[in-house]
Amino acid sequence: MYQYDAIDQQLVEERVAQFRDQTRRYLNNELSEQEFLPLRLQNGLYVQRYAPMLRIAIPYGMLSSAQLRKLADISCRYDKSYGHFSTRQNLQLNWPKIEDVPDILAELAEVQMHAVQTSGNCIRNTTTDQYAGVISDETVDPRPYCELIRQWSTFHPEFAFLPRKFKIAVNATESSDRAATQVHDIGLHIKKNEAGEIGFKVIVGGGLGRTPMVGVTISEFTPRADLLTYLDAIIRVYNQQGRRDNKYKARIKILVKALGIEEFRKRVDAEWAHLKGKESTVPMSEFDRLAGFFSAPAYDNLTNYPEALTSKLASSAGFARWFERNTFEHKQAGYRIVTLTLKKAGQAPGDATAEQMQKAADLADKFSFGELRVSHEQNLVLADVRQEQLVDLWEAAKQAGFATPTLGLLTDMICCPGGDFCALANAKSIPIAAQIQETFNDLDYLYDLGNIDLNISGCMNACGHHHVGNLGILGVDKKGEEFYQISIGGASGHDASIGKILGPSFAQEEISSVIQKLMNVYVANRSEEERFIDTYRRVGITPFKEAAYAKAN
Amino acid sequence: MPKLIKNGEIVDNTYYWLQGAEQAATANSIVPAQKWLADKDSIGDIAGIWLEAGDGVEFLQDVDLKQFQVIGINFPAFTDGRGFSYARLLKERLNYQGEIRALGNFIPDQLGFLIRVGFNSFQFNEEVDLEKALALHKPFSIAYQGDVSEPRPLFLRR
Repeated sequence: MYQYDAIDQQLVEERVAQFRDQTRRYLNNELSEQEFLPLRLQNGLYVQRYAPMLRIAIPYGMLSSAQLRKLADISCRYDKSYGHFSTRQNLQLNWPKIEDVPDILAELAEVQMHAVQTSGNCIRNTTTDQYAGVISDETVDPRPYCELIRQWSTFHPEFAFLPRKFKIAVNATESSDRAATQVHDIGLHIKKNEAGEIGFKVIVGGGLGRTPMVGVTISEFTPRADLLTYLDAIIRVYNQQGRRDNKYKARIKILVKALGIEEFRKRVDAEWAHLKGKESTVPMSEFDRLAGFFSAPAYDNLTNYPEALTSKLASSAGFARWFERNTFEHKQAGYRIVTLTLKKAGQAPGDATAEQMQKAADLADKFSFGELRVSHEQNLVLADVRQEQLVDLWEAAKQAGFATPTLGLLTDMICCPGGDFCALANAKSIPIAAQIQETFNDLDYLYDLGNIDLNISGCMNACGHHHVGNLGILGVDKKGEEFYQISIGGASGHDASIGKILGPSFAQEEISSVIQKLMNVYVANRSEEERFIDTYRRVGITPFKEAAYAKAN
Repeated sequence: MPKLIKNGEIVDNTYYWLQGAEQAATANSIVPAQKWLADKDSIGDIAGIWLEAGDGVEFLQDVDLKQFQVIGINFPAFTDGRGFSYARLLKERLNYQGEIRALGNFIPDQLGFLIRVGFNSFQFNEEVDLEKALALHKPFSIAYQGDVSEPRPLFLRR
């Protein structure tokens, strides 16, 4: 993974010093609340319902075991010994003290980490596929490009006070999009043109929140050398012309929609004409330099399906189940990608205790070259596990609570922290996740239902991506009471779509039984091997709606 | 005389920021760009113009900017970042060489970025302590991106 040089290190240390001074001035009343607010947000610090929340960047989800140990250690000494992995591959601490944050940042800097631009109206952490670099059907490894974008966006002097937050995600596979790129402000799809040159399909104006939209293509192919000048052009147009009168209409999607993609593209091209070929054009030497950080680890020459694996697959249904659900094909023979799920019943989705973080770091050292990734679905990934060691890893993962074999199934939910923590939330989301986990605890049944994305958000800000869940649950406030609206038919991959609202919202205790009714409709209507989303697309919303709102006889 | 920060020093503010369109312009006035556009044949000697957020810089494309000693850019709120792009475009696109002055509700913690996009003078709100503000002018000793004083990104210099 990327290693800081003296310059990168100096920049994060200077940021710590700057933030330390800003915090000091705020605590001395030299900086007003109103002035400190965007300054602290630009460094990931929110003031939440009960305590501040610090969002630590995990650039494009890459984490070393040493970094994860540091996070575990920080969570013990400055917080309540746990953290929450978010959908944008970051880690959130829910209980730090404001006056401790500069010290936390200084400790993060020791392991090349920071909280730069994890919030605020600026360019946020760039995200990508958690399987980057280890799958066979990838055009190229997206991580060097993510790092290029990270450096370009870090302390970009022109774009620190945009109309609204700005999120970029990168995908590099034709077959799938695990980074939900089409619901980002900019989605980048790495591809090769007919001449074999690397470039990007650029998608703009996707996003969730109050006005969910799937992005539209602004450029079919932008050569990689032009990436940064093209991004500068898009964001410069947005910075000047995006709405600033209403925060709910300030995202780039609203501008793109208002102008239409043709006109928006025309304006971006007019701006780009001045920037193209200028100094920010990326030379080959920089691509080579960055790619050098992501070269393959020292794989051994192995074969697929060694005896140690096949015999256990034959003898242990539990292991076979875990292997089928929670591991993924690796490009290197004899290796496998393993997801350590953070979806154990009784634990909030995406939460990890300090002990679990320590354990995951140990597992990474023992089984996966000391590196991990964080996924958009709020799980951890060991990318390079020898197949002959899978049984050992499974045993260890079970002990640590990482082996719930439900990856991609109904109970592998995406869930925001919700009203238990977040000041913005209208309703709690974690108890809904817990209720669903308790109700749907029969693995055979879950396997029979197959792949279903269920996403839960506690409010319209949609941190739990409810719009793009096959099933989405949104917390709403009805005269001071918490209710939940259910949507159906959303998707976040290459077939991205925004779910449709089923109808009037439900009380908290009704949710599981409604989900059960929806599952019954699916099971009754599906054809062989048909996924939930495909059945929905074929039969439409009506039978689901009828079942959900049918009066009991 | 009121003070301001200019080219890294605290100096006397010799210009007058003319905010209302109805006020008469003098040789040391910085007048609203829209007023100047409307009255430019009769307005006489002025120090320069100032842009409101939303004005953009396109209308200055065919204007001889050498006639202005100063171009001001107003920040209606410090979180309104349009002025960052305006300054950069004045400098890099329109090749304006004169003073670019930040006006309005920007704050000292923005100085570093404001300088990098081309501002060189800063007329803060009255309550700002200029000595303390000046100390914040360079939070970072190096930058990844190019900017108006060093157009080459770090990857060309690493």
